[in-house]
Amino acid sequence: MAEMWISMGPQHPMTHGLWTLKVKVDGETITDADPELGYLHRSVEKMGERRKYFMNTTLTDRLCYASSTTWTHNYVLTVEELMNVEVPERAKYIRTIMLELQRLASHLMWAGAYMPDLGHITGALYFWRDRELFLNLLEVPSGSRLLYNYIRIGGVKRDLPDGFVEKTERVFKLFEKRLDEYADLFENSKIFRMRTEDVGNFTAAQAQNLGITGPNMRGCGTKFDLRKNDPYEIYEEIDWAIQTREAGPGYSDCFSRYMVRIDEMKESIRIIRDCFKKMPKGPTLASAIPVRAQGEAFRRTEDSRGEALMYVVGDGTDRPYRWKIKSPMFTTISACPHYLKGYKLADIPAIMGSIDICIGETDK
Amino acid sequence: MEIKELMQELSALKGVSNASMIRDNVVKLDIDKNSSKEFFTKLRDDFGFEHCSLITAIDNQPEFELVYHFTSVNKSVTVGSTDMSVMMEAHVFLERDTPTIESISDLWGGANWHEREAFDLMGIYFVGHPDLRRVLLPEGFAGHPLRKDYVYEIHEEEW
Repeated sequence: MAEMWISMGPQHPMTHGLWTLKVKVDGETITDADPELGYLHRSVEKMGERRKYFMNTTLTDRLCYASSTTWTHNYVLTVEELMNVEVPERAKYIRTIMLELQRLASHLMWAGAYMPDLGHITGALYFWRDRELFLNLLEVPSGSRLLYNYIRIGGVKRDLPDGFVEKTERVFKLFEKRLDEYADLFENSKIFRMRTEDVGNFTAAQAQNLGITGPNMRGCGTKFDLRKNDPYEIYEEIDWAIQTREAGPGYSDCFSRYMVRIDEMKESIRIIRDCFKKMPKGPTLASAIPVRAQGEAFRRTEDSRGEALMYVVGDGTDRPYRWKIKSPMFTTISACPHYLKGYKLADIPAIMGSIDICIGETDK
Repeated sequence: MEIKELMQELSALKGVSNASMIRDNVVKLDIDKNSSKEFFTKLRDDFGFEHCSLITAIDNQPEFELVYHFTSVNKSVTVGSTDMSVMMEAHVFLERDTPTIESISDLWGGANWHEREAFDLMGIYFVGHPDLRRVLLPEGFAGHPLRKDYVYEIHEEEW
């Protein structure tokens, strides 16, 4: 049969943000793909060079609306490394709690967006209903619903208010019950498994070489999580374990990537509960924070979507000389021809949905 | 392999200078531009760095600097008895008149778009890259905006 190129996007229900996927099909079978980005490019790196260090946290919040705290945290961590700022112990605990709440909200956002991809519109409403619970929790200390600007250079904006622990515990109790319901609705659903099992496979070796990180890599059974393997904040002192799943020996499919995220949500709850137990009292912001910086620094963190890395070069002034953002999704999307080839055109929403795309951070 | 051994073995390779450890699990070094490809091939095949984290291009005026970050995912290099994964940071310096270097996208598939981005925003040419097009900016855009001598107003009229 004659081959032809089909363009999906930039406005297509599959894309989750503005990007184009051109696929070459032979009948219904995909033989090649060519992703195109840039529709949402806001030149964040260039804008950052004109702003002072502390101003850039408003830009990093807007890198990804579904996971803004993790990006601000990565930037702040890099600048603190550059300026040699010592963060108070209590601020580290609060940061970890906020990061894990953000991870829960981000994974729920993804799960809600994934269900309509598979034709299950009701699933979106269930997951987004729960996401709202966590957005409310994030709103309590920060004051905003999506773009928090809560983590600052040297600590956090303000301490947790009274009653936050009890409020969080109420949400967790409700959410854990609902996770069991979702297991019946999705994991044990024959239709859901037929759409996701043995679709969009890639191996662990492929993932490492192509730059696929985070939950997508752990879906291949690779035990690699930067919270354990390059620990930051207080993840070392907390009692938790890396979650992995496999579709078969050393490879992942859409279902194993779904399950990793569900497991990670349960693990995030465990981390936050342990943080509440061990959290000390004390200040939440360092007293002397420098304005200027000289030298270079990088830090990598485990974003909700994979390995996030920022590299900042300072030239002695109060603005960064060069600020580079590594987005995990940028390389994951670049690898999409490898895990789309050989599958049917109708599988594209299921496959591209399962890798959790966020175009805001990808296009920078 | 222990990270100290790794640093010693790497600094003995051709074209490598200024090797040092900037954190417990990070080795930093400079590489000569002409022996970079040979070095990177060894890094992947002999030392087990199977993941290319990032390629950054910096305009140092006058010369360009490329910073490569690689990660060892399967922990073939260890830091004592900890679980830490080792990273390698390599700096390559390029002259302003000839901002070219050999592509490593045949070694690491993940480097492909990092190189395209460095070409797009900073105008570094990667020799041997299979598909060196702009990735974030539109086709036909003039200039490379992250260069420090880029002037916005001029190009606005052209585009």
